Amino acid sequence: MSDYAVDITSLHKRYSNGTTALNHVQLQVPQGCIFGLIGPNGAGKSTLIKSLLTIIRPTLCEGTMLGKPIGHKPTLSQVGYLPEHAQFPAYLTGREVIEYAAGLSHQSRSQCRVRCDELLEKVGMNAHAHRRISTYSKGMKQRIGLAQALIHQPQVVFLDEPTDGVDPEGRMIMKGIIASLRDEGRTVFVNSHLLSEMEQIADRVAILSQGRIVAEGSIVDLTRKKALFEVSFIGQLPVRLMTWCQEHGMEISNDRIRCHAESAVMIQPLIDQLRGALLVIREIKEQRFSLEELFLQVLADSRKNP
Amino acid sequence: MTQALTILLDSLRMLRASKMFWISLWISALVALSYASIGFTDVGISLGFGMMNFQVPFIRRDTAEATEFYRLLFTDVIVRFWLGWFSLVLALISTCSIFPQFLQPGSIDLALSKPLSRARLFLLKYVGGLSFVATQTLLFCVVAFIAIGYRLDSWSWQVFWAVPVITFSFSLVFCVSALIGVLTRSMIFSLLGSLLFWAMTLVAQWSEDALYKMAYVLPEMGLKIDLTSGGVSEADPSQSNDLRETHRKISALVAILPKTRECTLLLKRLIVLDGPANPRTGLDLGALLSGSSDAELERLMEQYEQRHSVSYLIGTSLAFELLVLGLAIVVFQRRDY
Repeated sequence: MSDYAVDITSLHKRYSNGTTALNHVQLQVPQGCIFGLIGPNGAGKSTLIKSLLTIIRPTLCEGTMLGKPIGHKPTLSQVGYLPEHAQFPAYLTGREVIEYAAGLSHQSRSQCRVRCDELLEKVGMNAHAHRRISTYSKGMKQRIGLAQALIHQPQVVFLDEPTDGVDPEGRMIMKGIIASLRDEGRTVFVNSHLLSEMEQIADRVAILSQGRIVAEGSIVDLTRKKALFEVSFIGQLPVRLMTWCQEHGMEISNDRIRCHAESAVMIQPLIDQLRGALLVIREIKEQRFSLEELFLQVLADSRKNP
Repeated sequence: MTQALTILLDSLRMLRASKMFWISLWISALVALSYASIGFTDVGISLGFGMMNFQVPFIRRDTAEATEFYRLLFTDVIVRFWLGWFSLVLALISTCSIFPQFLQPGSIDLALSKPLSRARLFLLKYVGGLSFVATQTLLFCVVAFIAIGYRLDSWSWQVFWAVPVITFSFSLVFCVSALIGVLTRSMIFSLLGSLLFWAMTLVAQWSEDALYKMAYVLPEMGLKIDLTSGGVSEADPSQSNDLRETHRKISALVAILPKTRECTLLLKRLIVLDGPANPRTGLDLGALLSGSSDAELERLMEQYEQRHSVSYLIGTSLAFELLVLGLAIVVFQRRDY
């Protein structure tokens, strides 16, 4: 089997009204990682997940999921899904929702029973399992939603805004469960607007904008590419050096020079130049982008150069 | 198999949670008990488990007429009006929301993301909707079976024909409700559209029915109806060709429509109770109660009631249902959710 849980060669979705939701997206999600898909509203995040899960019929879809062509229905028995704004039948109890999901995934009742108890315990819903869904808060529904997505022990789990409406305690529980899934070797694909949370849990992220992947990689790599070194000095910057800095894309403000560089090695020439001009280097500070800053920067770049 | 059981179990849970289901069930129980309360004495009929007695010269205990009366009461009144009309309307009101609700964003996603084909999912959901009527009719038939057995000492399992027949009749309208539900995702459109369609098919069936009587039954009796004055006069049987031609045209139209009414009336042919042999066929309840006897009329009425074969009624209705379901499945399969 491929090293990728999801390997999309080309995914294109054009609606009948002419809107292109996904523009020949290419994406690889390695097995056993937590993969975050982020993007502004309307970027096509949910469309991408729904296309993989056969909820939306893509215009063109080439690629595999768990080694089988995308859209291969039997493979979906190894896939879990928590939709955004999940609406479970109001007449069911929390436990019945989980049993319903298990049944649709070919799980027998006996297989389901023990697992259901475990999951209810895990998501902290044991005490409310026999209450009707209609009496649940949004956060409680999300917890049950997570449990139903995991009832059949899927290899890949798609979570669309999983912490939406969940209280801080619930978020902690969910983050713990997501991390434990990765530890068990399962792949978790998360759509979320909460970038700070994503930064904490995701191993890799992709940024989707206007139906295209505009950045993809591990968070460390992506933020490194956008790292910034700020060098403070004492003294007057010579005109020659000022020109050199500008030629190398550096920003000068008073006694500081800002230099975009992936690593400290790349700012050594600047240090040499400053010392050559007999200037005193007071401080060198590395400033890494947060995921949020990276996201905003990448989006701005992609809009400038569509 | 697990998937099918899961969806059917979900349908039963949905029924359990529906107020309309319980209201309908209670009314059914009341109607069934009222039926069971009718008995026969040496002088006539008793009601309310013997609380009221009526003298009826032709219907007495242990007579063929009593058996026929009890059968006709079941097939011509209860099945026709309660099971075939009111309970079906209540069932439509209760089930018209099944597909629109199921197709709501956040709800349909879960089912579609499972290893289950869309066509199978649709059909299982559809069958689940039919269980509303099947359950109601089954419970009703159990009471009717006991009542008939107790009153007539006739333990006739044929009573249970009502379950598939009434469920089939309902399915002919429910398939239209499902199609409109899939197309519009609106409960109101689904309900109004299916009721309107049902009314349209009934008008077509009534028209065909009335034209048959005017074109065949009345001329055979040497009578004709003046359509301008509404009066009945004597006529020559050979001069009904125009009406027969019109009847043929209406029949062609009716042939492609589902025959909800006639399918319900099939029960009159299917349910035959054990008991004293009834020499008279083609009777309706009115004729039985009045005690009137006209062998020629009864022969013509029997001919009229059986003018369409069972295979024609079921076959053409089933063809319509399959066509509508096929269309609904195609729409369901091609949609993005």
